[in-house]
Amino acid sequence: MVEPGGEEERPLLDSAQNDCPPRKALPPLCDPRRLAHRLLVLALMCFLGFGSYFCYDNPAALQTQVQRDMKVNTATFMALYAWYSWPNVVLCFFGGFLIDRVFGIRLGTIIFSSFVCVGQVIFAMGALFNTFWLMEAGRFVFGIGGESLAVAQNTYAVSWFKGKELNLVFGLQLSMARIGSTVNMNIMGWIYSRVQDLLGSTGHSTLGFTLMIGGVTCIFSLSCALFLAYLDKRAEKILCKEQGKTGEVIKLTDVKDFSLSLWLIFIICVCYYAAVFPFIGLGKVFFIEKFKFSSQEASAINSIVYIISAPMSPVFGFLVDKLGRNIIWVMFAIVATLASHIMLAFTFWNPWIAMCILGVAYSLLACALWPMVAFVVPEHQLGTAYGFMQSIQNLGLAIIAIAAGTILDSRGYLFLEVFFSACVCLSLIAVVMLYFVNHLTGGDLNWSAKKREKLQKLAAAEAEKREKLRRQKEDDLVKLQPKNDFSLRNRYLSKLGAQLPDNYSSYLSALAHRSVLK
Amino acid sequence: MPAGGRLLLPGLWLLGGLSCLLAAAGGDRRQVTLQYIPGSNSSSASLLHVRAVGRNDTLHYVWSGIGAPTVLLVYTRSESSALHVNWTKLLSASPAGAIWIEPPGSVVYSTAVVFTKVFEYNGTNASGLSKGQEEPFYPSYDLAGFSWQIVNQTALMAKFQGMNTVDPGGTSHNGTISFQVTAYEEGGRDSPLPRLLHTANSSKVEFIMDSVAPRGNKSRFLLEVVTVEEKGGHKRLQSVRSIDDEYTPTIFEMAQLVSKPRNDSVGPSFFQWKTTAYGSRDASRENAIRCRYYPLQTANRTLPGPSIAHAYFGEGLGRSHSIAAINISFSGEDGEVYAEKGYLSWSALLGFGTPPKDAFSPLVMAIVAVALGTPVVLLLAGALVVLFARRKRRSQYEPIN
Repeated sequence: MVEPGGEEERPLLDSAQNDCPPRKALPPLCDPRRLAHRLLVLALMCFLGFGSYFCYDNPAALQTQVQRDMKVNTATFMALYAWYSWPNVVLCFFGGFLIDRVFGIRLGTIIFSSFVCVGQVIFAMGALFNTFWLMEAGRFVFGIGGESLAVAQNTYAVSWFKGKELNLVFGLQLSMARIGSTVNMNIMGWIYSRVQDLLGSTGHSTLGFTLMIGGVTCIFSLSCALFLAYLDKRAEKILCKEQGKTGEVIKLTDVKDFSLSLWLIFIICVCYYAAVFPFIGLGKVFFIEKFKFSSQEASAINSIVYIISAPMSPVFGFLVDKLGRNIIWVMFAIVATLASHIMLAFTFWNPWIAMCILGVAYSLLACALWPMVAFVVPEHQLGTAYGFMQSIQNLGLAIIAIAAGTILDSRGYLFLEVFFSACVCLSLIAVVMLYFVNHLTGGDLNWSAKKREKLQKLAAAEAEKREKLRRQKEDDLVKLQPKNDFSLRNRYLSKLGAQLPDNYSSYLSALAHRSVLK
Repeated sequence: MPAGGRLLLPGLWLLGGLSCLLAAAGGDRRQVTLQYIPGSNSSSASLLHVRAVGRNDTLHYVWSGIGAPTVLLVYTRSESSALHVNWTKLLSASPAGAIWIEPPGSVVYSTAVVFTKVFEYNGTNASGLSKGQEEPFYPSYDLAGFSWQIVNQTALMAKFQGMNTVDPGGTSHNGTISFQVTAYEEGGRDSPLPRLLHTANSSKVEFIMDSVAPRGNKSRFLLEVVTVEEKGGHKRLQSVRSIDDEYTPTIFEMAQLVSKPRNDSVGPSFFQWKTTAYGSRDASRENAIRCRYYPLQTANRTLPGPSIAHAYFGEGLGRSHSIAAINISFSGEDGEVYAEKGYLSWSALLGFGTPPKDAFSPLVMAIVAVALGTPVVLLLAGALVVLFARRKRRSQYEPIN
């Protein structure tokens, strides 16, 4: 067994290995060391998040039905999304902590999956009993589980695939999330109409049964969590590996050390996503009313953003990695998004054009924006930075969701689109400022990949030199603290935005944050 | 992926919106009087005369519930034209010529709108009617058979309330159908939904059904409107789709019946409505009821009598005037909004001149201008700062060679 951490991380005494029972021969599907088994685990991991992604956008898929059956206005309807976000304003600081210190990954995953399940059931009960506050409570419970489950899901991925197929695994998990959302958008309306045929009328009980059926996906995901926990436990015994950890450290006092660039990145993130997710949440009725789409067509076009980003995210990720110049990409994505919102607001052009542009821009932004955080924050603050980013993003989403509902009720879609465009403009202002701040302070955000590589080599050589020097100087000390050098170099390289191998990567923990990656 | 098959109008809406902002403001102030003209002693029949005096011209709107609820729109080129009524003739079997304007020479243009019937049908499938399927219709309410009374009159507003006299103990007992008329002295916009933009040359009529008991589980209602146009003229049905739903949230379509454009200053007459009705006294988006309209029927239409249109236009109404009818249905596509509160209100604007068109509000334009302007300004300012900084840096270090 080769330790991915390299020499420095290997324990001095191979004591752990000595406790291992002798390995017997296992069939490939059951042997944790074999690819076939890991593929099984991968499938389980992907379906682990399916339920939560499927149910997250249930309200958007059933907007007209929810508003009609529960007799609520749009602002109240959008509160369903806000209630999902509220717990995460706080929880995203603790998700990693809960998994690492309190529950452990296995129990944590099961608990979060249960929260998702229970939340969805409460949500459906609220509809069955015609009590809207119960539906909101359901979304709150659902929110407690949902975001943390994504952190757990990614932690599993790291623990099983670290140093192997990790990027692919992350890609697949994201695609699975998209598929969950898309399937939801296109199937919930159909399920509703079938239930309506069965019960003979529309009404809150029809809605309740439909949501209960949607909740089956959550049960499915929970059973994946249970099975995965069993397999992980078994693998731990066989391979003598440790339970996976997010390894993230949150220190709120770090906030005062955040640079201007980081704050600008936060603004971009909050304003941009605020103009995308609430729009998708309210989009269906927009396409029906303004563009005379049928209900099914409207669902299809509303999910196109997710459909596009499933295959495009890996492509753009690769492209941005190769070309660098992150700020330019982000700027381009924001301008494209602005154009698409303006198109939707001020023209009757075929909305497929605007929505496809939005889908592409959204995928590009996700790939170019999130790695920037790793460039402007020292490694030890990354966890805090991503936690903070996710927290204010959730706060922004919750507030904007309610605001968007209120605006729609009182001033209509044109004004709402203008409002979203203004949000995108705000993030455009932030990115323009980021460009100049970066330019004036000589930051590395906008370097091309070539330049980064060159500087990385230079820095690596320099680090090597310094390392040698230090070793000569303090030979004994180095032996006592072998990790010190590694982390120092690692931190230095990551600050340069160097492409590190997966197992060296300082921002792996950051990958555990779903919303930022969305 | 099906692209919906519709490449919609390329949008020159921004330009259009700006230009019609000026047009909509047109139509200056008018002196408006709302006069209630009671009929002869015994009968409850009455007229409501709205007289709007402007510079060099007068608009007359004559509302009446004698027969089917009708409004006469008369444009006269005189500030002193007056309405005359021969009541005995009007209430007789042949009312032709019972209503006229004095002096007759001042009349430039006249038209009439008659609300003839309310149909009720069982709309199991909301789109069934448009697909030409047979829908089970219940016996219709003939509005000519109602007795109309003016209730609630204020300075610029009056309400005709109709009781079903044909079937007093019938299904519509306690329920009322009413037409609320509002006259305007100047251009502006109402505050309750649908917030139609009006000019001084127009007035609003609101069709209200209150507690009319539906006769089926899925009852939908349909209003028949008949227009009378002078010989040679005819009404056209237009659908104006606008990107601007700021005043009537989520409603992007205005439907209008417009007469042939005229060369004089009057312009055509119009009858316009937003394609929505509301199912509650305080209209809001969530109690909106979808309003559909069906193609204009012009062939072989006659105007069922009696009505004041017969009294004004005379015997030859059928031959010398073109008559067109349109059906407007109120069918909550999803759900039974009417059944919930037993209330339905639908507003339409009628008047002279080019029909008003919504334009962007100053707030929207301001937000767009600021939102788009700031990044550009910032980009320029930033470029200057960077340029300046670079020059400064360069000047500090002398080149070595």
